[in-house]
Amino acid sequence: MMKAVIALMKKDLKLLFKDKMAVFFTFVFPLLFAFFFGSIFSSSGGAKGLKIAVTDLDQTEKSQAFVQQLNEASEFRVTETDEANAKELVRTGKQVAFIILPEGFGENYGGIFSGQPPEILVGIDPARKAEAGYLEGSLMKLGIKRFELAFSDANEMIKQLDFSIEDIQQSGDMPAEWKSLLSDYLPKFKELTEQELAKQPDGAGSTGLNFGADGDNPMMPLKITKEEVSVQQSGPRNSFSITIPQGVIWAIMGCVIGFAISLVREKTLGTLDRLAIAPISRTQILAGKALGCFAAQAMVVTMLFTIAYFILDVRFDFIKLLLAVIAAGICFVGVMMFFASITKTEQSVAGMTNAFLILMGMIGGAMIPLFAMPGWMQSISHISPVKWAILALEGAIWRDFSYIEMMTPLAILTAIGVVTFFIGTRMLKLKQS
Amino acid sequence: MIEVRGISKRYGDLQAVDNLSITIEKGHIFGLLGPNGAGKSTTISMMCGLISPDQGAVQLNGEQPTAKATKHKIGLIPQSIALYEELTALDNLSFFADLYGLPSNLKAERMEWSLKFVGLQDRARDTVSEYSGGMKRRLNLAASLLHDPEFIFMDEPTAGVDPQSRNKLFESVFELKDLGKTIIYTTHYMEEAEKLCDRVGVVDKGQLLALGTVDELIDQHGGHSSVHIRSEAGEESFMTANPVNDLMARLKDLTTVENLSLQRPNLETVFLNLTGKQLRD
Ligand SMILES: Nc1ncnc2c1ncn2[C@@H]1O[C@H](COP(=O)(O)OP(=O)(O)OP(=O)(O)O)[C@@H](O)[C@H]1O
Ligand SMILES: [Mg+2]
Repeated sequence: MMKAVIALMKKDLKLLFKDKMAVFFTFVFPLLFAFFFGSIFSSSGGAKGLKIAVTDLDQTEKSQAFVQQLNEASEFRVTETDEANAKELVRTGKQVAFIILPEGFGENYGGIFSGQPPEILVGIDPARKAEAGYLEGSLMKLGIKRFELAFSDANEMIKQLDFSIEDIQQSGDMPAEWKSLLSDYLPKFKELTEQELAKQPDGAGSTGLNFGADGDNPMMPLKITKEEVSVQQSGPRNSFSITIPQGVIWAIMGCVIGFAISLVREKTLGTLDRLAIAPISRTQILAGKALGCFAAQAMVVTMLFTIAYFILDVRFDFIKLLLAVIAAGICFVGVMMFFASITKTEQSVAGMTNAFLILMGMIGGAMIPLFAMPGWMQSISHISPVKWAILALEGAIWRDFSYIEMMTPLAILTAIGVVTFFIGTRMLKLKQS
Repeated sequence: MIEVRGISKRYGDLQAVDNLSITIEKGHIFGLLGPNGAGKSTTISMMCGLISPDQGAVQLNGEQPTAKATKHKIGLIPQSIALYEELTALDNLSFFADLYGLPSNLKAERMEWSLKFVGLQDRARDTVSEYSGGMKRRLNLAASLLHDPEFIFMDEPTAGVDPQSRNKLFESVFELKDLGKTIIYTTHYMEEAEKLCDRVGVVDKGQLLALGTVDELIDQHGGHSSVHIRSEAGEESFMTANPVNDLMARLKDLTTVENLSLQRPNLETVFLNLTGKQLRD
């Protein structure tokens, strides 16, 4: 019994993968869509660089210079504010992280060979691992600047000059003219530097290597103390949380069109006659088709969410997502059956299914995100199964729906699926007799 | 044995098949001969249970064609190439074999037999879309024989096939007959019907106009033979119901016969006499 259904499903999947256009629209296009619009949204959202809130509690020359560096760095978009507000901004998800320069920051900033590395306090949502790593790396890069500063220090320079003069005098293969020129010039340059140094109020940077007593290596660019901030999820975590459900819809639509065409093609080719004449029931034939369509949807959805999770940092509630995907699958398998049953030729099924799905996609949020729609559009979106599918997916991703809240879209999707499947299979039956 | 009793099928205003009755003996090749749109495919579809008649009934060995056990005994070679062209021949055969639930060892055996039967074993791994028209026709046949059916319905299996493939196909039909299969063969080529069929039914506009062996049909509906002679007496032609006797009698009077031809009536003339029109337009 089941063997024939599995054979039907396997055959349809094989056919799907042989069809390069179908593979493109089912697997590649949705991914491109999610990637492309996801990145457009994130850059137009102004996130060219991490949004960080910065609080300078030290208020020294060095700390202010550091804040200035943060401001100038392309990696960050800085909002300067007080400590409480900075923390609030991160907690509410408006800013990715906060950075606090505690008192004493400036004092340690100058010390290279002594004392402790300057400490900063970073607060970030522990789930945002990618951003956290990026933030830390970028801060360290800035921290290294303080060494550059130190090495342009006068004392350091004098030492360097002493080495060089000695080198030149001992060198045997240097032309005599060059030797005399440099031997003349470098000591004079050293003299000048010493005079400049003497003018400075305090001898900036005393020499002598001396590691911090508490084991903190002062050669560390910065000491970053991290604080975990649990972010209140209110709104999508990133733009991919919106474009991935949209990509899923495009993928499902690709499956629906592909399978509706394949079912009509079976009619026009006459292979449906071979199925009808075989000792399998009509239910088995239709189940095979439905299962094939469902399996193709499951495959592409799994692929999309795997990429979403590991590469695009989209987070979701797995069980709710599974429910959403199954309900959407049922809905669109039904839609597929319906369109395959009311059309006679491959062109008409492709045309009708395309037109219907693109319209439903447009008003249902597959192009413009639901929350970004104007009010009138949001209200007509109720008639689109795409809207309910996106709502269910978003409920599992960032809308933070409870199971009760999930019920509405799940029930609507299942109902649409069951009704269209029933009508579709009934009509297909009539065609054959 | 196949018994068709008074089946009719109507599509809107069109009576596609009109009260048609035939009995076909086991092991026979039965030909359904008629022009385009005569109702051959509709008849065959009702005989194998693909569509149900508005009136009348079909029984295969006393069973309904839609009974599950009977379905295992039916092989239909559809008029169109009913194959998945994007898949290989092996994939196609494997799929159709699975529909009949063949156990895997039998399935492999039957697939090999079918491919060999139609002479495609060397091209089994090729995608069907790369096949020639004749090869597709042959695979279309192979795909219907996997479950070793007892009743084989062939709907214009030679459409669009070159003479060489056509002859190969005729051989296959005779081989199937030798295996004891009952074969129903539709065509609008009277040569095919004359060559292959034990009995022939002539259909037009959904009606069965005549039924019998080729000789019976010619005797009953063929009319006269035409005789043509060129001799010292010049050219002469005449029609006769008794060509051998009449010709012998005439030849007694002649000394030098340069050319002689005798045109017996054939199914073409049978059809012409029955319907007043040519079989092929
Ligand atoms: N599903 C259908 N719906 C409406 N009319 C049909 C249908 N199937 C067949 N017909 C009509 O019934 C008549 C008989 O068709 P059928 O296909 O049985 O003829 P045929 O003898 O097989 O012709 P051909 O040699 O062209 O295959 C034709 O006029 C055809 O147009
Ligand atoms: Mg036909």
